[in-house]
Amino acid sequence: MRTNRTRIAQGRGVANTLCKRALGYLYCGRLRYPYAPMTDPALIRNFSIIAHIDHGKSTLADRVLQLTHTVADRDMQDQLLDSMDIERERGITIKAQAVRVMYDADDGNTYQLNLIDTPGHVDFTYEVSRSLAACEGVILVVDAAQGVEAQTVANALMAMNAHLEIIPLINKIDLPAADPERVRHEIEEGLAIPADEAVLASGKTGEGVRDALEAVVRLVPHPVGNPDAPLKALIFDSYFDTYRGVVALIRVVDGHVTKGMKVRMMATSTVTDVEEVGVRRPANTPVDTLGVGEVGYLITGLKDPLLVKVGDTVTLAKHGATEQLPGYRDVKPMVYTGLFPIDGDQYPDLRDALERLTLNDPALIWDPESSHALGFGFRVGFLGLLHMEVVKERLEREFSLDLLATAPSVEYHAYLTKGEMLAVHSPQDMPDPGHLERIEEPYLRVTILVPPDYVGPVMELSDQRRGAFKDMQYLSATTVEMHYEMPLSELIMDFFDQLKSRTKGYASLDYEYIGYRESNLVKLDILLASKPVDALSFIVHRDKAYARGKVLTEKLREIIPRQMFEVPIQAAIGAKIISRETVKAKRKDVLAKCYGGDITRKRKLLEKQKEGKKRMKQVGSVEIPQEAFMAILKVDE
Amino acid sequence: MSSPAEEARVPLPAHLYVHVPLCRSKCSYCDFFSRADDGSVSHSELVDETVALLRGWLTPKVHAVPLETLYVGGGTPTVLGTDLVRLLREIAAAIPLAPGAEVTVEANPESLTRELADALASAGVTRVSVGVQSLDDAALRWLGRCHDAAGAMDAMRVVREAGMNLACDLIAGVPGMSAEGWRAALESVVGAGAEHVSVYPLTIEDGTPLASAIERGEIAAPDEDEAAEAMRAASEVLRTGGLERYEVANYALPGRESRHNSAYWTGRPYLGIGGGAHGMLDAAQARATGLATGDFNLGRLRYAYVSELLPDAPGAPFSLVESLTSDEAAREDAMLGMRMTCGIADELAEHAGVVRALGALAADGLVLSECGRWRPTERGWLFGNEVFGRLWSDAERLTPPHPRPRIVWHSAGVSARRR
Repeated sequence: MRTNRTRIAQGRGVANTLCKRALGYLYCGRLRYPYAPMTDPALIRNFSIIAHIDHGKSTLADRVLQLTHTVADRDMQDQLLDSMDIERERGITIKAQAVRVMYDADDGNTYQLNLIDTPGHVDFTYEVSRSLAACEGVILVVDAAQGVEAQTVANALMAMNAHLEIIPLINKIDLPAADPERVRHEIEEGLAIPADEAVLASGKTGEGVRDALEAVVRLVPHPVGNPDAPLKALIFDSYFDTYRGVVALIRVVDGHVTKGMKVRMMATSTVTDVEEVGVRRPANTPVDTLGVGEVGYLITGLKDPLLVKVGDTVTLAKHGATEQLPGYRDVKPMVYTGLFPIDGDQYPDLRDALERLTLNDPALIWDPESSHALGFGFRVGFLGLLHMEVVKERLEREFSLDLLATAPSVEYHAYLTKGEMLAVHSPQDMPDPGHLERIEEPYLRVTILVPPDYVGPVMELSDQRRGAFKDMQYLSATTVEMHYEMPLSELIMDFFDQLKSRTKGYASLDYEYIGYRESNLVKLDILLASKPVDALSFIVHRDKAYARGKVLTEKLREIIPRQMFEVPIQAAIGAKIISRETVKAKRKDVLAKCYGGDITRKRKLLEKQKEGKKRMKQVGSVEIPQEAFMAILKVDE
Repeated sequence: MSSPAEEARVPLPAHLYVHVPLCRSKCSYCDFFSRADDGSVSHSELVDETVALLRGWLTPKVHAVPLETLYVGGGTPTVLGTDLVRLLREIAAAIPLAPGAEVTVEANPESLTRELADALASAGVTRVSVGVQSLDDAALRWLGRCHDAAGAMDAMRVVREAGMNLACDLIAGVPGMSAEGWRAALESVVGAGAEHVSVYPLTIEDGTPLASAIERGEIAAPDEDEAAEAMRAASEVLRTGGLERYEVANYALPGRESRHNSAYWTGRPYLGIGGGAHGMLDAAQARATGLATGDFNLGRLRYAYVSELLPDAPGAPFSLVESLTSDEAAREDAMLGMRMTCGIADELAEHAGVVRALGALAADGLVLSECGRWRPTERGWLFGNEVFGRLWSDAERLTPPHPRPRIVWHSAGVSARRR
């Protein structure tokens, strides 16, 4: 799907990388521990911290780095492991991180703790599952005031499925609203995890952090593997370094990996040399060898991220393992949108930027797309909504692009009367209804946790979104867990914002994909001045088409400025018009005043007006502001 | 008779604009450069310095030509009282007026007395432009004017009685004005003997008290449709009174069109003097005054003084110096010419490279071509921005990037005041 994959874009963003790298060397100079080759697995603990968003996972990780003197206090910056600006600002983790700390435990031993920080969002479930596969235990962080939330449940279930030791930790106990007893109860009731020995901690004050590490040493099993077997290492994340190529984060299961070895990536059958192995503290620090149970990084010089896949197994090129580690799969995008540069001249820049981002984010999939209304752009596939937002924001911020995104879409399966199936990522690709036998769309199992008072509003919203109610259960007096089956296409239309606003922010949401189901879907077209505008088309359930068409035409009437001619706005299914609005013609547009021969200002105003028009999209004779294309993203019902 | 040496010198423009940046008080809609006349500025010093600025242009490389038009604007020149009369006399002493010159002074009703009107007439003023704006007291208050309708009527009478031509400014589309009230005001102005009427639709300029009040939601923004209707009504009522539209916002009895303003629209050079004033020089004048140097394709040069009461900002007296190539100058002429009823000749359209753009505008019903000229239609008047904007931006040969002239911001010619 991607074009020109091997090209390594240069320029913007490199400086950023350089800074981070320079920063890394500073940390190297202050390391407390030298690296012993191959630690006894009995002294290794691999664990992860998992939590609902905002429950304080990254702050807690920061405290662990400080407590173990991995980072000098003066170099401490908030949420050190979240290295992207967007991660820090939004308080979310997008990329997995693995940092090694040395911990002097109460039993007198010094343990090698590998802390694997996982992405904290449902979009990245697969990555989380691979990160968890590299661990033997997790610290499950629950906010002492917020209690158990949807992703707490999802994360805990994932850890249970991976047979990991779960250490509950009630965080933010310094908050005035903290209620550890209630939360302890929720953990036991809702998650069936014994919580009487839950660690009470505060990432902010550092209280309880040592208790947490003691619990890790005591409760998390040490890794077990065969040092004499051929190498088997799990790739649980990777990133791209401009100078070194793809850097894989690995966990050694059997055998060992040493610089100079010839290794093979089993899923992609790629054979390559090991240029460097090392550990992250948190800067990359080379070591000679990584042995059984150890976590670190691997550099092979491979430049193509598609050859180094998350979930794949690294083994020896000759006489290697015959079986891959379990759990590998190809990640597939769930949400698609068209990204168009507002200034058409930025099209090549957008392509370069996507190429660059893809190096670090192989889940990002894109294909050129052209629109009558918006010109040349790309159809981009994402793992989910957050992934989409983050990518768009990075493109705009790190690459200085002004982008217009069309309504997000899912992958529809259109079965033709001829028998074949067509994967439809964009309304424009929807086949003519005459050739269609049926359409299927992806469904989700949605979990919503909400205080009992808001059960009504959640039900109302879910009904509107074609949600089929499955069951609900009281986790405690303050939390109800509700389950729905719902089309993904409904969820990506503003569902989370609506859910938050109807529950005063209390609801939390998680979902998992459950497969394709047949739906009565139609393509709704918007016509301006009797001409269809491709970028405003969308696919919608037939029962909702009228309401959506009406809301949208009304909204467009407000957004589209009056023009020299009357502009009819119509919503249509096929040839049938289902709603109509009109933008009245404007009657005048003139700046008659001319101050004392100030022609320059007059010209500047005209030039400014021209600039303003340039930012509008011209479709036929109609000028459409960018907001019009966003209007379909947010449709209040 | 001119001496040979004089002939080698470059003639200065025959049109002069002088800016008086003082007003009794600031109106709510106004973003022109002027300050409240609170006594902090000495009128007589202002006159002295303005005249010194003018004399600064008279260097050995140029020679003054008798002024065809002189326009003293503002601001409110009449706040200067008798100092305004002295200003006029000193300007004429520096650069003589041509026989039959058009000498215009802007006036506001609150500062135009019978005595001042008579004095202006005897100082050679032929035309007074009165800021009437409205003849509805509520509308005048809304606009922040410091006079009422009766005061405006008095001012108009005083101008006529002093034997000068009367020009009036009116603002169309003031919220709350009824259609009847607006027509009545137009009729009253015509009845008062105005030979020239300017009708400007109310525009909300950034940074004005009106703009802030609208932003705060205290008052409603003017209705564009009402303003369009008011402009249409104005052309109808004024035509009935014998005043024909000769420019997008200007109407006059035949022969009473403003020659000064017409110079702006027809690409004739003009000097501008005083804080915030704008001027335009042709290439020879720009070089002779030392404002531009170097060998390049200069069509014309526009400049503006800094918006200070007196341009004594250290370093540069100008806030703007802008060069246009000859292509750009032609395009500008085409754009400005289409503000006028007479439009532009086919030859200019050809020369400026706007024939195709005009054709597209004609297809939209905004301009028409007849008898070898392009002219705006009635609809074209209302969509002036569309016409002017497309002529400026959609010309066939937009000037490719070229070396811009070196602009001398601090030329000897214009910094005389500081000597």
